[in-house]
Amino acid sequence: MKGLRFLLSRAAQGLIVMFGVSALVFFALFLTGDPAVLMMAPDSTAAEIDAFREAMGFDDPIIVQYGRFLVDALQGDLGSSLRYSRPAMDLLAERLGATALLALSALLWSSLLGFLLGAIAAVRKNSPIDFAIRVISLLGQAVPVFWLALMLIILFSLNLRWLPSSGYGSLGHLVMPSLALGAYYLSAITRLVRSSLIETLGENYVRTARAKGLTEWRIVVRHALRNAMIPVVTLQGMYLASLMGGALVTEIIFAWPGIGRLAVEAIQNRDFPVVQAVVLFAALVFVVANFLVDVAYTWLNPRIRL
Amino acid sequence: MTGSLRIKGNEDAALAIFLLAASVAFCILVPLAWPLDPLRGDISATFKPPMTVVGDALHPLGTDQLGRDLLARLGLGTLVSFGIVLIAALISVVLGTALGMIAGYYGGWVDALIMRLVDIQLAVPFILLILLLVSVLGPSMTNLVIVLGLTGWAIFARVARGRTLEVRELEYIDASRAMGLSDTTIIFRHVLPNIIGPQTVLLTLDLPRLIILEASVGFLGLGVQPPMPTLGNLIGEGRSVILIANWLVLYPGLMIGALVIGCNLLGDWLVRRAESKVS
Repeated sequence: MKGLRFLLSRAAQGLIVMFGVSALVFFALFLTGDPAVLMMAPDSTAAEIDAFREAMGFDDPIIVQYGRFLVDALQGDLGSSLRYSRPAMDLLAERLGATALLALSALLWSSLLGFLLGAIAAVRKNSPIDFAIRVISLLGQAVPVFWLALMLIILFSLNLRWLPSSGYGSLGHLVMPSLALGAYYLSAITRLVRSSLIETLGENYVRTARAKGLTEWRIVVRHALRNAMIPVVTLQGMYLASLMGGALVTEIIFAWPGIGRLAVEAIQNRDFPVVQAVVLFAALVFVVANFLVDVAYTWLNPRIRL
Repeated sequence: MTGSLRIKGNEDAALAIFLLAASVAFCILVPLAWPLDPLRGDISATFKPPMTVVGDALHPLGTDQLGRDLLARLGLGTLVSFGIVLIAALISVVLGTALGMIAGYYGGWVDALIMRLVDIQLAVPFILLILLLVSVLGPSMTNLVIVLGLTGWAIFARVARGRTLEVRELEYIDASRAMGLSDTTIIFRHVLPNIIGPQTVLLTLDLPRLIILEASVGFLGLGVQPPMPTLGNLIGEGRSVILIANWLVLYPGLMIGALVIGCNLLGDWLVRRAESKVS
């Protein structure tokens, strides 16, 4: 019952966060004073801006406008793209698949490899192989996604001519974006698994298992990994925001038709309803993912009752 | 204490300090002492590869599409980027520490409010939030510093709050209160000194995030505008000519790598030292 209450309070917190983010994206447009001037092309006439202001309802009291924005958003209506004259939600939905494919593939390979490398480094602590893994994970976090992406393009597209430098559609197109995006994550997971596992391997029950004569790998897989996963799982949620941020830049470089590219194009075109939709959506993904992390957390460690 | 200055066992710290000192020296000395202009180029010397000599000018890192010397641009760009990041980090630390201490010290609804703001802040990917704000306010160096600074406070607030909660329970805080000291005095004189250490470590570990964030915004063309170079916009400009001049992308990236590795190693080392002190 306590676990359920914990999860319910976390869900309520998530709702509060979404409410706050909605206020953030709404009021951001009023920072310069007049959203109509902000959204219109710089060479618009005063009459055009006035007409637009009236059409968008910017003359109403700001609280009324925010109320309208919230009610519409709850019904899945996030306004229309100023550029494409189509609902922002439709544009988002069209691009969702590409981003999900990129993010999930990056997450998958980097988590699997990160767990493996982290476990090897922990078991062979302070050996040359531990050192090598440490250097790799330090380098993976050292460079921006976009720089790594460009280096991959120079190597695999320009020099070796193995992979297409940009675009979408085949497995070959997915390799480099997924590699570039996953590299940072691989480093993070490797470091986390290593330090967490080293701590767990010092616990009493592990010593007992060792005394029973179990092999080190058997101890790791059967006994230590489950407990070592708790901090790893907890931090997954935190890393998700940076993963989404990285996806945005990766999509620009590889002309990947996802949400990140949609967002940057919308920002460059001053298409603010689309920007608002993307930010709200990203926050929703973050909140839902963190809630799932909380669920996994309660399941992994029944003692935790906050 | 005598052992703490020896390099053995502290190779990480030595490497970190070397990387950071070299980077800082580079971004101060090059703009000061390197004779070639970072903003104006020689049109007859475009796309020269590294170590080319044109006339009586040596270009150790080559030149760009306008014949500008990359070493000069990289020096200035590193200075601009690192400057922006440091000022932004300072804003984040001060703001986050203040809010975190207030939340932890007073508790109750103040605490709940500030912590929900932290959650909200952390739920939006930084880059999206920054791009949104910069696009509304317009891309300028001042706006970038303010936006980077204002969006980075949350993690500092969370840690400062946790530490304040611990310190608040100590006896001497009760004693201070019994002596009739005001809350402000207690927070500044007795809570803050306990928080500065952990916050400095956190700052070192947060700098890489800011460096890469600033570079990403610059790369997307929404940061400091050309011709002024930054680490990010150098790579952004080099990207379109990557086929003929890959050095324009290569070196700014290595510079970012040196700064980030330096900060990460230093931060990790500070954390380990703090932990071994406790145990």
